[in-house]
Amino acid sequence: MNMILAVMYREYLIRTTSLTWAFYDLFMPLTYMLLFGIGLDRAFASGVQTGGQMVGYNSFFLGGVLAMASFGIAINTAYGFFVDRDNGMLYEFLTYPMTRGEFLVGKILFNSSLTLVQAAITVGLGALLLGIPVRWERAGFLVPVVVCGTAGWFFFLTTFALRIRRNDMFNTFINIAYFLLMFGSSLFYPLEGLPPWLRTFSTVNPLTWHSDVLRYLTIGLGSADTMVAESAAFLLFTFLSFAAAVRTLQGGIVK
Amino acid sequence: MSPTNAAIEVENLVMVYHPNSVHPVRALDGLSLSVRQGEIYGLLGRNGAGKTTLLRILTTLLKPTSGKATLMGLDVARRPYDVRKKICAVLQENAVEVFLSVEDNLTTYARFHSIPRHQTRERADRAIEQFGLGEFRKQKVMDLSGGLKRRVQVAKVFMVDKPVVFLDEATTGMDPINKRGTLEAIREQARQGRTIFLTTHILEEAEELCDTIAIIDRGGVLATGNVDTIKSLGSAVVDIRVTYESLDEEALAELSRLQLVKLERRHLTLELSVNSRQVSPFDVLQRMGRLGPVISFDVSSGSLEDAFIELLGNRNTGGSGR
Repeated sequence: MNMILAVMYREYLIRTTSLTWAFYDLFMPLTYMLLFGIGLDRAFASGVQTGGQMVGYNSFFLGGVLAMASFGIAINTAYGFFVDRDNGMLYEFLTYPMTRGEFLVGKILFNSSLTLVQAAITVGLGALLLGIPVRWERAGFLVPVVVCGTAGWFFFLTTFALRIRRNDMFNTFINIAYFLLMFGSSLFYPLEGLPPWLRTFSTVNPLTWHSDVLRYLTIGLGSADTMVAESAAFLLFTFLSFAAAVRTLQGGIVK
Repeated sequence: MSPTNAAIEVENLVMVYHPNSVHPVRALDGLSLSVRQGEIYGLLGRNGAGKTTLLRILTTLLKPTSGKATLMGLDVARRPYDVRKKICAVLQENAVEVFLSVEDNLTTYARFHSIPRHQTRERADRAIEQFGLGEFRKQKVMDLSGGLKRRVQVAKVFMVDKPVVFLDEATTGMDPINKRGTLEAIREQARQGRTIFLTTHILEEAEELCDTIAIIDRGGVLATGNVDTIKSLGSAVVDIRVTYESLDEEALAELSRLQLVKLERRHLTLELSVNSRQVSPFDVLQRMGRLGPVISFDVSSGSLEDAFIELLGNRNTGGSGR
């Protein structure tokens, strides 16, 4: 536990050296809601139809933007490996008296706490400024879902960040992954109207599971059974990604 | 040597990079060595000889292809976590938190190495003073020069009490005064019973510091022993240093055609190393006497550098690049 706290402390020290960075992280999803969300809300004035009911676009988008924010923080944290590698710190870290798992968990726990603040700001101001009908009685469940979501994406990206040793190549990989995962999911639109091939892809995309669960918890959209299944699938995704990331770190990333 | 007396034991270690590729790289080729507790052990070798690979295996960054390495009796491949509790390392790359201040670099490092909080400040202060970092204490490391960054990196390991310290070219980029201070700090650590395992390309440094030296090449140990033993392997080498009032360039060109281990000219001073098995030092001295009016001269037996060059100079490979 001491080592996890030490890694979190280190992440905190680095993050607090740039307030611009922190400000961007905290307010990015709300800004997304205020610009992109409002734009589409006006364009689809009658709302979007999903699960047999009509929902305002801003309300529909809230769960998606929270998932996107977790994904964004996970990407930034994974990019940290390149900064650490450039500064020589990555290899030095790996000689410290901690397990590879403690290193990864410490890195993401601090950044997950940022995602939690980000989610609180987005949900609170989304309800206040945009009139989104938030199901406050479920808000407590957002904590594990936001933390697990951020961690899952971070562990998933870690394996690639460590194996793809070139910053520019990782950048390309992220662009492709971002594009495929975001547009092939329920993040921006319901899956019902999609062509079968895209719908199939989106159904097995963990970003869909993540967005759906957040949408269920924030505005109550979807069924409890589906949410349980999607939560379990995302947990499995997180666990497998964690195992792969630890294995990559143990296998000798220094070549 | 009894196993209980050894800080590090390496037996028949092999490391092959990209084993399934068309061009696998054999960085270590059956390397064996033993390091006693409390000694300063120097690993010397050309670029690509396998020094960094060995260090990376011993610090748990890499797993060997085959063979065994133990540190304080712990198998580095099987019990890496326990090994990491026993070591601290200055790696070849600069490793500093560039966004943090000098002070935060030290306190963060202390936290990772479980230094009690009430001791952290005192130890950081001591390291800052020892490495002349006082005036930079609050500065972000990204604003410091390369040499200062290296001082911050080295200062960190002297804050903690681990039984084995790895130093990979630790004094690179330091000015002579700080280099001297670092060497003294290393000696002090060894006096306290810590085992120091270092690599360096500065052979005078190794000669001054190390209790035992191993020269490695092509992934194996070429020679090992204390400084005198290693130097004796190059005992056929004689160093000659002559300073002239003026130099006859033609005669110098003729001299340079002889088979010399080393010939360096610094203005009107010539420094030569002669392998007496190949060329008579007396013949060389006679020829040097004809080069011009002599102000001073000095003849001495070979240095560690001479032994190094004699041992490795004729081995015609560049190593694996690791």
